[in-house]
Amino acid sequence: MARPGVVMGMVAIGALLWGSTPYAHSQKTTEMFIPLGQSPGLSGKITVIGTIEAVDAQNQTIVVAGSSEKWSAEVTKDTHIWLDRSKLGLSNQYGTFTDLREGRLVEVKYEGTERRSEGPAVWIKVQVTTPSAKVGEARQ
Amino acid sequence: MNHETSPDRGLEPRVPVHVSVVLIGVMALWSCQSMPPPDPQAKLIAKGREIFLNETFEGNGRTCGSCHPPENNFTIDPAFIATLPKDNPLFVAEFNPDLATLERPRLMREFGLILENQDGFDDLEHKFNMRGVPHTLALRTSVNSPQGPRTGWSGDGAPGDGSLRSFATGAVIQHFTKTLNRVAGVDFRLPTEEELDALEAFQLSLGRQEDLTLPLPLKGTLPKRGQEIFLDNSLGKCNLCHVNAGATANLGAGNIGNANFNTGVEDLPDQPARLVQTLPIDGGFGTDPDGGFTNVPNPDGSFGDKTFNTPPLVEAADTGAFFHNNAIQTIEGAVGFYDGDSFNNSPAGQLLASVDPEGAGIELDGTQIVAIAAFLRVINVLENIRESMAQLEASLKVHRAKADEHLKLAIAETKDSIMVLEAGGLHPEAVAHLKEAKRLTKKAARSWFFRKANTREAIEEQKKAKAVIVE
Repeated sequence: MARPGVVMGMVAIGALLWGSTPYAHSQKTTEMFIPLGQSPGLSGKITVIGTIEAVDAQNQTIVVAGSSEKWSAEVTKDTHIWLDRSKLGLSNQYGTFTDLREGRLVEVKYEGTERRSEGPAVWIKVQVTTPSAKVGEARQ
Repeated sequence: MNHETSPDRGLEPRVPVHVSVVLIGVMALWSCQSMPPPDPQAKLIAKGREIFLNETFEGNGRTCGSCHPPENNFTIDPAFIATLPKDNPLFVAEFNPDLATLERPRLMREFGLILENQDGFDDLEHKFNMRGVPHTLALRTSVNSPQGPRTGWSGDGAPGDGSLRSFATGAVIQHFTKTLNRVAGVDFRLPTEEELDALEAFQLSLGRQEDLTLPLPLKGTLPKRGQEIFLDNSLGKCNLCHVNAGATANLGAGNIGNANFNTGVEDLPDQPARLVQTLPIDGGFGTDPDGGFTNVPNPDGSFGDKTFNTPPLVEAADTGAFFHNNAIQTIEGAVGFYDGDSFNNSPAGQLLASVDPEGAGIELDGTQIVAIAAFLRVINVLENIRESMAQLEASLKVHRAKADEHLKLAIAETKDSIMVLEAGGLHPEAVAHLKEAKRLTKKAARSWFFRKANTREAIEEQKKAKAVIVE
C-alpha cells in the first residue's frame, strides 16, 4: 500500500498536469493547406465565413459579414493568417494583417470549441483569387 | 417406338442439369445463410478499410496502409520496409525529384522514421522532425482526454477539430502530396466528409476496444513479478501514466485520459538517427514553449512544449522501435529508459522524484527491468491470441476469398506471439502451441475441403497457449 505522503504527492501532480495541459484543438500546421470552408469538424460548425466589411488597423480587428450575420474578430500576435490560393492552383502562404482587406472572403476560427461571434481569432484564412498577390500585398 | 415420346429417353440427358440446379441452389442458400447482410456500422467500417488500404487521394501513390499495413500491426519498421519493392510509394523521395526532401530516405530505411512538419512549413530544410509510425490499434482506448482528442506522437496530429476523424486530412497533406506545394485539388484531393466518417470508423474498430483490468492472473514467475512491479506506485510507477498498461494516466487525482509528458526522450545520448545525421530537436506538442501554436522557438531551437503523447503498452512488444523517434529497439531497452538519467532528469522524472520519500524518480535493477518487459511481452501475446482467435472465428463465417484475409492476419498475429515470447525466453510450452496453431492456420489457408476443420483446430491451439500464460 502506498504511503499517504506519496498519495498526496500524486494527487498534486495529477491536478497540476490536468490543469496545465493545453486543449489540443485544431492546431496541426497542415491546417494552412486546407482550403477555406473545408476544415474538418470546424467549417460550417465552429468557424465563420464571410466577406471582410471593415478593417481597424489600429485596434487590429476586422468585421466580417455573412449573408445574414456579422462577426468581429481580434487579430492578436498569436493569430495565424493564411492566404488560401488553392483556387489559383498555387500553394497557400503565410499572411499578415495587411492581407485582411475589405471585400475579401475569409474564414475565422475563434478561440475555444464553441461557435462565437466576436473575440480573438486563432486563425484566419483569406481567399486569394489574383495570382500576382504576395504576402502582405494581396489584392482581390 | 416413338423416340420423341419415350419417357426414359426424354429424362436421361436432363438428370445432370437438375442435379446442378439443385446443387447451385443449395450452395446459394448456404452462402446466404453464412453471410448475413452487414449492419450499417459494419458497412461503414468495411468502406473505411477499403479507403485506408487503397485510396491514394489522387496524390503520390501512397495510401494510409503504406505506413500502417495491417500485416505489420499497422506500423512499419526497418525489417518490414526491407521487404518492399523499391518502387513502393513509401519511397517516393527516392525516385520522384519533386519529393526529394519529403523524407530522409536513409533514416526511413535504417530506423523506420518518417518526416513530419508539425512545427510549420515555412522552413522545410531546417524545420522538421523525424518520427516513428505509431500503430493504429486500440485507438478507441487512447485518443480521448478531457483536454480534447490526442492524435499522433505529440497529441496534436490532426488539423480541423483535432479529432481522429480529421487526422486523415492532415496525413494526406503531409504524406500524400505530389509536390511540396501541397495544393488541394492539384497535388492531392482532400478526403470527403463521408470518407472521413468511414476512416474513423475503421480505425476505431482496430484492436482492443477496451482497457485491461489489472492485475491479471498470470502464470509465469517472471511476468507475474513484472506485473507487481508495474503496478507498484512506489517502485515501477508504470501504472501512473499507463493505467492498466493502456494509454491513460491516473496520478492520484482521477483518470486524466490520454496525457502528454516530457519524459526526456529527446535528451537521450546516442539516439540512432542522430548518429547518422544532425537533426532538429523535436519540441513535441504545439509550436511554442507554453504548448501554444505561435511559433516561438525554445532556446535549443525546437518548437513546442517538449511533451509527447502516452502510447498504450499492451500493443508495445511487437510494435517497436520505441518512443516518438524510434530511439530504442527492444522492449527491455524501453523499460530501462525509465531507470536512466534522461528520464530521471526530465520534468516527468523530477515530478515523480518530488513526491517520493527518498527523492527517487524511478530506480530499477536489471532483473526488475527484464521482469517488467516480460509482463509487457505476455500481455502483448494475450492480445495477439485474442486477435488471432477473432480473425480465425471470422474466417469461419465468410466465403473463401474473404476467409483468406482473416487467416493471413491470424498467421501474422501468431508469428508475432511466437517472436515476442521466444525473444524474452518466456513460456516455451505456449510457443509450441502457437507454432502448431500457425501450422494449422497455414494449412487452413491452403485447404479447399478442410479449411474450417483446420481453423477450428488452430483456435484450440490458441486457447491452449493462452491457458499456459494466464489462469
